[in-house]
Amino acid sequence: MIEIKQLAKKFAVENPKKLSEQEKKDPRLKGRFFHSVKDVSFSCNKGQVLGLLGPNGAGKTTTLRMLSTALKPDAGSVMIGGENVLENPIIARRKIGFLSGTTGLYGRLTGRENIHYFAQLHGMQAEAIENKIQELADLLDMHSFLDRRSENFSTGMKQKTAIARAVVHDPELVILDEPTTGLDIMAAQTVLDFIQGLKQKGTPVIFSTHHLDEVQELCEKVVVIDQGISKFDGDIAAFKAMADNSLNRSFMSIINQSKQGEQGEVSCG
Amino acid sequence: MWLVFSKELKELLRDRKTLFFMIALPLLIFPIIFGIAGFVGKQAIDKAETKVLKYALVGGQYAPEIVKDLQQPDKFEQVEISADADFKSIIRAGTADFVLVIPDNYSSDVLTNGQANLELHFNDAGLNLVYRRVNEIVKSQSDQFKQTAFSTLGLDEGQQKALIKPIVLEKVNTADTRENWGEKIGGMLPYLLFILCLQGAMMPAADIGAGEKERGTLETLLISPIDRNKIVFGKFLTIGFAGTMTALITVASMAIWGFVISQGMAVKFVADFMAQIGVMDFVLIFLMLVPVVAIFASALLSISIYAKSFKEAQSYMGPMMIFVIIPIMLALLPGVELKGGWAWVPITNVSLAMKELVKGTMDYFQLFAIFGSTVVIAGAFFAFSIYWFNKEKVLFR
Repeated sequence: MIEIKQLAKKFAVENPKKLSEQEKKDPRLKGRFFHSVKDVSFSCNKGQVLGLLGPNGAGKTTTLRMLSTALKPDAGSVMIGGENVLENPIIARRKIGFLSGTTGLYGRLTGRENIHYFAQLHGMQAEAIENKIQELADLLDMHSFLDRRSENFSTGMKQKTAIARAVVHDPELVILDEPTTGLDIMAAQTVLDFIQGLKQKGTPVIFSTHHLDEVQELCEKVVVIDQGISKFDGDIAAFKAMADNSLNRSFMSIINQSKQGEQGEVSCG
Repeated sequence: MWLVFSKELKELLRDRKTLFFMIALPLLIFPIIFGIAGFVGKQAIDKAETKVLKYALVGGQYAPEIVKDLQQPDKFEQVEISADADFKSIIRAGTADFVLVIPDNYSSDVLTNGQANLELHFNDAGLNLVYRRVNEIVKSQSDQFKQTAFSTLGLDEGQQKALIKPIVLEKVNTADTRENWGEKIGGMLPYLLFILCLQGAMMPAADIGAGEKERGTLETLLISPIDRNKIVFGKFLTIGFAGTMTALITVASMAIWGFVISQGMAVKFVADFMAQIGVMDFVLIFLMLVPVVAIFASALLSISIYAKSFKEAQSYMGPMMIFVIIPIMLALLPGVELKGGWAWVPITNVSLAMKELVKGTMDYFQLFAIFGSTVVIAGAFFAFSIYWFNKEKVLFR
C-alpha cells in the first residue's frame, strides 16, 4: 500500500570549500550538487514494519524526510493507498505521522499541551483530543509527567511525548527516524512495544535504526540504503539468508558488495 | 491561524525573560531609574548651593559694598593671593573657587564714571552655581546704583522704564497651547513608542522563528497539515501583539507614575492639555501604532525565519534600531511636514502624523499615504516570510 519508486534528491553545495575530505571523496558529489539520494525504491504493506538500515550519511534521513513531505524529491513517486502524495502534500501530512531524529518540544508548554497543539493543527475536536491523549498516555506510560513543562523532561520523556504527538491523529502510516537512539533500555523498550502495538492494529511503520536486534524483533521487511541507493529490499528471511542467518554479516555483505561494485566500475572506466 | 497565535502567546506569557522585558521593566524599572536620577541630581544641586566658596579679590578697595556682602562665613571664604598671580592656575590648583576683579572706575556715581566691567574668573565646566551666587550680590549693588542715578536725573517711573528698555518687542503667539506643546511633546512621542515597540517585539520574534528552528520543533510544525501562510500570519500577530503591549504598558506606566510624582504640581496643565486633544485623536494616535507594528513585526519575522539560530537572529536585529531612529529624526527636522513625498516615507510619516494629531492640525487625507506605504513595505516582508517558509531551505540552510 505504500510504494516508493526511484526517489532522488540533490542539494546545492553553497560553499564547496567547506566540505570535509570525506565528503569531497564521496562519489555522490557532482559539480555544485550533492546527490544525497540517487535511487531509492521500496514498498511496505498494511501491518508490516519496515526497518531502514544503512551507514551514517547513506541517505536514510533524507529519504524519510521526503516521505514526510518536509523535502520535495527531484524525481520519483510516493504512493500511499494509491494516491501520489507528492502532488498534494497536505493529504500526505494528514496520512503520515512522522517523528524526526532531531525533533524537539515546546519547552514552555506541558507535555499535554504539546500534543494538544498538534492535534488541533490536524483539525481534531477537543473531546477526541482528550480521549486520544488519555489512550496514548496509557500506552506509553506518560501519566507521571504529562502535565509538567517539557523543558525539564528527560530524553525518554521527550521521546515518548514526541511519539505521542506524531501519532495523535491516527495516521495511516507512521515513519520514525531512529526512534530509540539515545534512550535508556526501558524507554527504548516502551518505544519498541509501541511499534508492536501499531503493527497489531495494522498500521504500517517505517523506521530507520542502527540496532539490528530491533530489526530482528519487529520487522517483516528490511531495506538497506548505501550511498543514496537502495541496495536491498526484501523480507527478513531473505535478508538473513544473505549470510547464514547472521543479521550483522548480511548487512556487511550488502555494503561490501556495493563497494566492490564501485571499485569494479572505477577500474573498468 | 488563531490556533498558532494563541499557542505562541501562551508560550510567550510563560517565558520569564519576555515578561520581564514586556511588563516588569516598564512598570517598575523606569520609575526607579528616573527616581534615582532625580534624587542624585537634586543632591548635587543642593551641594553646589551650600558649598562654601573660596574667593580672591583684586581691586577690592574700589568696592567696599561688595567686599562687605562677600563676608558671609557660611557662604564665602576669602583667600589672599599675590598681586601677579595667574588666576587660571590658582583656580585649577583649588586655592580659590573664583577670583573677582573690580576695575578702578567702579563707583556709585555711574553718570560720571560710566559702566563698570567686573571680571569673574572661575571654572565653568562642571555643575556649579558660582556665577549665580556672585551675581546675586553684584545685581543688588547694580540696582542701587541705577536708582541713585535715576533720582539724580530726576526721572519719573515711566521715564525710568523707557530708558532701561526704549523699545519692547512683544511676542503674541497665534498657536494655542495645544499646538505649541503638541509640537514638542508630539515630536518625542514616536521616539518612545516606536523604540519600545521594537524592543518588546524583538525577543519574541527571535524566539518564534529562529528559536523554533533551534529547538527542532519547526520541522514538525511544517509537516502538519496547516497552510504555511497561516503559520506565518499567526506568528506575525504574536510579534505585533507583544510589541504593542510593551509600548502601551510603558506609556500607561509613565502616565501613572508621572501623575503620582507631579501630584498637585503640573497636573492642571496636563489635564487641560489632555482635555483639548479629544478621544478621537487619542484613538487615532494609538491606531498609528498599527502600521508601525506591522512593519516591525513583518521585518523581525523575516529576519527570524531567515536566521539559522537564535543568536544569528539577534545579531541581525541589533542594527534595526538605527533604521528606526533615523526616520524618526527626519520627522523632527524643520520643513519636514506630513504632505507630498514625506507622507510616503515609512516611520517618518507616522512620526509626523502623531505630532499632527497631538497638535490638532492633522490632515486626515494623509492617512491614505501612511497606510498605503505601510501595506507595501509590510507586505514585502510578509511575502518574503511566506516565500521562505515554503522553501526547504527554511529547515536546512
